[in-house]
Amino acid sequence: MSPLNQNEPSSSLHAAFGPAPKADASGFSRRRMLQVMGASLALASASACRWEAEEILPFQKRPEGRIPGSTRRFATAFETSGFAAALLVTSYDGRPIKIEGNPLHPLDRGAATARSQAAVLDLYDPDHSRGLVQTFQGVAYPRTWKEFDPFFQGVLAKQRESGGAGLRVLAEPSSSLALAELRRRFAATFPKARWVTWEPLSRSNELAGAQLAFGRAVRALPRVEASKTLVGFDCDLFVEHPAALAAARGFAARRDPHGADVQRVWAAECAPTSLGAVADHRVAVRVEQLLPLVLALEAKVHAALGNALDASLRPNQTAPTGGFLATPAITEFVAALADELVQRRGESLVVCGRRAPAAVHAVVHRLNAALANVGRTVQYVDDAQANEPEPATALAELVKEMESGAVECLVALGVNPVYDAPADVDFYRGLRKVALSIHLGDYRDETGRACTWHLPRAHALESWGDATSWDGLRCTTQPLIEPIFPRRTNLELAAALVGETTLARDLVRAAVLPGASDAEWQKALHDGFVANSAAAFVTPSVARFDTPPVAPRALQPDATNGALELVFAADPKLYDGRFANNSWLQELPDATTKMTWGNAALFAPETAKALGVADATLVKLKVGGRELECAACVVPGHAVGAVTIHLGYGRTAAGVVGGLDEESVESVGFASYRLRTLANLDTALDLAVEATGRAYPLARTTDPAVGDEIGQSGVEERLHELLRETTLAKHLANPHGEEHAGHHPALESLWEHAEPGAVRWGMAIDLNTCVGCNACTIACQAENNVPVVGREQVLRGREMHWIRIDRYFREEGGATAMRFQPLACQHCESAPCEQVCPVAATVHSAEGLNDMVYNRCIGTRYCANNCPFKVRRFNFFNYHKAIDAAGSEVQRMLYNPDVTIRHRGVMEKCTFCVQRIQRAKIQAKNEGRPLADGEVVTACAQTCPTQAIVFGDLADAQSRVARLAADGRAYRMLEELNIRPRTTYLAKVTNPNSAISAGAKSESANGASHHDG
Amino acid sequence: MTVDSTSALHLDEPYARPVLVEGDRDIAAVTRRVCGVVEAPKPPKAWYVAITITSAMTVMLFGCVAYLIATGVGVWGNNSPAFWGWDIVNFVFWVGIAHAGTLISAILFLLRQKWRTSINRAAEAMTLFAVCCAGLYPSIHVGRIWVAYWLFPVPNQMQMWPNFRSPLLWDVFAVSTYATVSLLFWYMGLVPDLATLRDRATTKLRKGLYGFFALGWCGSARHWQRYERAYLILAALATPLVLSVHSVVSFDFAVSQVPGWHTTIFPPYFVAGAIFSGFGMVVTTMVPARELFGLKELVTLRHLENMNKVILATGSMVGLAYATEFFIAWYGGNPYERFVFLNRALGPYWWAYWLMVFCNVVAPQFLWVKKIRTNLWAMFVISIFVNIGMWLERFVIVVTSLTRDYLPTSWGYFAPTWVDICTFAGTFGLFLTLFLLFCRYLPMVAIAEVKTVLPAAHPHGGHGHKEGAHHG
Repeated sequence: MSPLNQNEPSSSLHAAFGPAPKADASGFSRRRMLQVMGASLALASASACRWEAEEILPFQKRPEGRIPGSTRRFATAFETSGFAAALLVTSYDGRPIKIEGNPLHPLDRGAATARSQAAVLDLYDPDHSRGLVQTFQGVAYPRTWKEFDPFFQGVLAKQRESGGAGLRVLAEPSSSLALAELRRRFAATFPKARWVTWEPLSRSNELAGAQLAFGRAVRALPRVEASKTLVGFDCDLFVEHPAALAAARGFAARRDPHGADVQRVWAAECAPTSLGAVADHRVAVRVEQLLPLVLALEAKVHAALGNALDASLRPNQTAPTGGFLATPAITEFVAALADELVQRRGESLVVCGRRAPAAVHAVVHRLNAALANVGRTVQYVDDAQANEPEPATALAELVKEMESGAVECLVALGVNPVYDAPADVDFYRGLRKVALSIHLGDYRDETGRACTWHLPRAHALESWGDATSWDGLRCTTQPLIEPIFPRRTNLELAAALVGETTLARDLVRAAVLPGASDAEWQKALHDGFVANSAAAFVTPSVARFDTPPVAPRALQPDATNGALELVFAADPKLYDGRFANNSWLQELPDATTKMTWGNAALFAPETAKALGVADATLVKLKVGGRELECAACVVPGHAVGAVTIHLGYGRTAAGVVGGLDEESVESVGFASYRLRTLANLDTALDLAVEATGRAYPLARTTDPAVGDEIGQSGVEERLHELLRETTLAKHLANPHGEEHAGHHPALESLWEHAEPGAVRWGMAIDLNTCVGCNACTIACQAENNVPVVGREQVLRGREMHWIRIDRYFREEGGATAMRFQPLACQHCESAPCEQVCPVAATVHSAEGLNDMVYNRCIGTRYCANNCPFKVRRFNFFNYHKAIDAAGSEVQRMLYNPDVTIRHRGVMEKCTFCVQRIQRAKIQAKNEGRPLADGEVVTACAQTCPTQAIVFGDLADAQSRVARLAADGRAYRMLEELNIRPRTTYLAKVTNPNSAISAGAKSESANGASHHDG
Repeated sequence: MTVDSTSALHLDEPYARPVLVEGDRDIAAVTRRVCGVVEAPKPPKAWYVAITITSAMTVMLFGCVAYLIATGVGVWGNNSPAFWGWDIVNFVFWVGIAHAGTLISAILFLLRQKWRTSINRAAEAMTLFAVCCAGLYPSIHVGRIWVAYWLFPVPNQMQMWPNFRSPLLWDVFAVSTYATVSLLFWYMGLVPDLATLRDRATTKLRKGLYGFFALGWCGSARHWQRYERAYLILAALATPLVLSVHSVVSFDFAVSQVPGWHTTIFPPYFVAGAIFSGFGMVVTTMVPARELFGLKELVTLRHLENMNKVILATGSMVGLAYATEFFIAWYGGNPYERFVFLNRALGPYWWAYWLMVFCNVVAPQFLWVKKIRTNLWAMFVISIFVNIGMWLERFVIVVTSLTRDYLPTSWGYFAPTWVDICTFAGTFGLFLTLFLLFCRYLPMVAIAEVKTVLPAAHPHGGHGHKEGAHHG
């Protein structure tokens, strides 16, 4: 059957089952939704990939390479905002169950972000659109592609006559070559039509900055691994940046305290980010202060470099002074940083975040050029999106056209402007003037419901496509599964627009590898990308440019109520809101706030105090005549005078997870888009905050001890032992200092311990390189069938993650630093949990694993009480209840068959991925060879972009983990309890600039304090 | 309630010990009085009112348990890090209450404290009923109730045995042994009285039932000789149990490594606390019960005063234990332990801690004053404080220690749900229902034993008479 002509029984499904039943937002009752899906079973089991367009044959002959019960892996790529994430997807009996990074890809190298990994959940999400819907006079009717196709071709034929004057396409930005080709043909077929690109989190500041600096839209490829000094201006380099994984890996490579030239990281940012968390020096500034700050830094650098520089690299204007720039912390930061940059010319790298104003981007480019970093630590490639108009402006124009009635047919490809358009662009009103609006989307979202037609879009794992990664490498997307429901891709609908009937696969092949042989094509699919296709580097030269004048208010060290700055940030989990129905991501604790299931306005403690805002209460944000009531969360280390709010929450038609008005499912979080206008896409000035004092519980996995003096003192007292930290200078002077930092008497045991086995599995976690990206948590969740429990349960402290990232705030010398500590079961050799279990349900294996015998567990929970790390998770309810229900067959396809699904009433915890150990052992045994180091990789270690987690055999002295366990930085947490943990932590080593650390010492005489917030 | 004149008279004479039985001290009168409660055609109206309320609460308990079993432990407020909450708090609370009975029956028996005779029966019954309530919790608090029997070393085809290192297993043995011995001891003591009831029975049903349980007792000298020997042996057996059961319960905490639990003071501290709470509950129930069933002459103010003295002594021991814990937390130098104790007093549960100190340490000190010690209202109020305080003590130990242990990132707060509250209230319903049924259908006072402390049993003078005190 042709993918363009599939006709599946979804209409009969709707007819038979009526509207979907009600469900609430909690993770487990939503699965009742699945009851409606029973009719689609036949499809669920049709598990062939879309390699050939021919009919699927029964397995009379087993397909090549397919062994029942074994897994296969395919390389593919997901595109977000026009950039590819290169992935390797594991498929079990034809169903994708686990997403990992593509190890061959030069940027991602096996790592994958939390979002990419969580996407597998969407594939089986019951809310993921499963059929076509036509809305007529407010009533939704199920439709089929068979009905839609002729209708659509009729509409297009009519439009072709007028040259497409009434036809508009609104699409996501894409780097797909195949789509670009179709777009060219679209322009030729419909000369009067327009193709508009909409993207709420656009890169327009970045492109405008490059345009300003170079007169040319280029994008910068940071070479973090080549830089000795890394400076970030409000840049979430290791999480939000499209090349985050490569940057994180590069950072990790330069942080080995025994390596040459240990990197020093500097950060100036508003809300704490992944880069600020690992920074050796960090200052918190408002976004509006970034420009004066970079200008001041540039001026210092130029003063030191003298007149040696080309005139174009010198700023025209005099740098601003005074105000916040004159505060001791900033003065010291700028002076020391400028000195260091000049000293390390050609070895430093300055980066700047997406949100920063264009001028800041431009100055950063100029600074990198002046520091001779271009070509060494930063490289440029031409950006394909350069020719796109600014998305928000383009959208506003489109809405004007729609309102004028000029648009007869609007085709929306994957976008959701009804939800995420700027608040002063009323897309919904415009849409009502459009006679025919067609929405292709993963979900029947806000826009899908407002359009006259909603078409279900295929998941990336069901799609053919292509995209380029940040370095310009052409990556291929191949389907791992036939669309479970009749769904199509952007590419397929675009093909229909121009009357193209070629298979999507062939369109992709023709665009990505024109004229290539089958072997080359096969290799590209196998690798997931076309080798050597990365964009050529360009060396743009800086033109003299002026920066806009610095507003006096920006120099104010603080801002008063009514003059606050509101910062709109991309959500690290939900991005722009498109992942709102992904319960794994919703329940993923935010790296900084540890918040799940929602967003909040983030306040610095000083700002909150000044405004009378208490943590976990409701506040009213008022800006530009708009108002939003939302929760407040106090975040140490946030810039004073600014309030950050994450976008992507408050969805009203995301689904039963993220919020669905139609079924009275409350939205998760607060709709911050309502405050975001055309003029204030990144920040809004003159924000007024009104405290209501009404409590609003935030579902945080770590309760902040803010305001509780005893708690604070407890944290302070123990933090230096739990999370050991030293400076590079101290470490080099005393390489074993951290290993011996904990003092305790000789440890004796009540009983004799078993002889250690021939294999001793262990883990080493390097605190020095963890950037808190959360990829490990999602990797573990997908690998180990870890359930989602919902907001109410998280509020009760019953989240189930097997690996969590503990976050501490440490205050030293007036600056707040964030520290991460990934924590899973430590597999103690003398495990306290094992001694107290009355039924011996948790016992040691011969290889030293602390095994959990689910069948034996009766659920006394004594083990969890006695676990000093609190890594044991209890099934307080049957969190997997609905998978037994009829109709949940699709959702059930998600589970990893190698891992038991836990019943209610039993304890569970990290197993060190025992199923992966067994798989590797069986394979080695079959091949008659010993297991080699690195063959067993736990899910968390596999995906860690910085390789902070290392797993292996401690008994093998040559293994990586054994060598790390013997490192001078190695320590075992709470060792004094004589529990003998198998997980080794490597102490964090900061690398402060001696000019600042000398100053900080005198300041910290008033006492360093740590607290948990 | 007022203090009756007879006892007031005796109280005024400092040298004379008050008598153990007041009123007409006639052997037949004791039998009449005690059996009269059982044989009355109708119990007092208050009994009906009380049992209606308590049985409704019992039904609520069963409803909550059914809901719990059908849904999961999550219906309670237990969370991570407080994996144990009210379930274990209430378990320890009820086990503690169960201590008074055996203490009064066994230890005081061995120590020849004859004043025990008129209260031991009721106290033993309370022990059993409290053990029922206590035993309920560990069995329903597990995640998979349907396999809770795996806690017992049941031989099976997989040769899976429980983990004998686990204090929870010791607990199973300790509590079940205690329950068994307490039941036997109570039943043993009942046999002669059941025979009395049988002999006085007017209906066939009564005759049959009391007769069946009286085991053919006919009061022969041989019966009495064996009975007293057996009673002595059981008392000797039960005595170590008074100390062992709560020691073992305390091992659940002391053997773990949770800061605030892992302390060697726990066994004696728990035993003292258990006796304290047990006597508190006996006073709470006996003060109204003796009024309700007209047993003031058998359960005299002297008894109540003696019990108050025990409350005062054990309450002070408990206070000493609190102080010692703080001293050791400071002196021991373990930062985690030091933190836990500071956190108890000043952290988020400070209210529970200080309320506990008031109820357990401050309130009993009023009992030094004889007027308060012998005032029914005052002792009733203080005994209520003791009950509340001892419940809070278990709450403080279980919850404050768990919610703030080693890693601050895992710290949490425990809040009970309505199911927690209703289940706990329901156990009171169960306890009181059983107690009310006991009062109505079994002799509340050990008839045979009381007769031995009557003047008639000591024709040459004895307890409470001319020579005064040589029987202690």
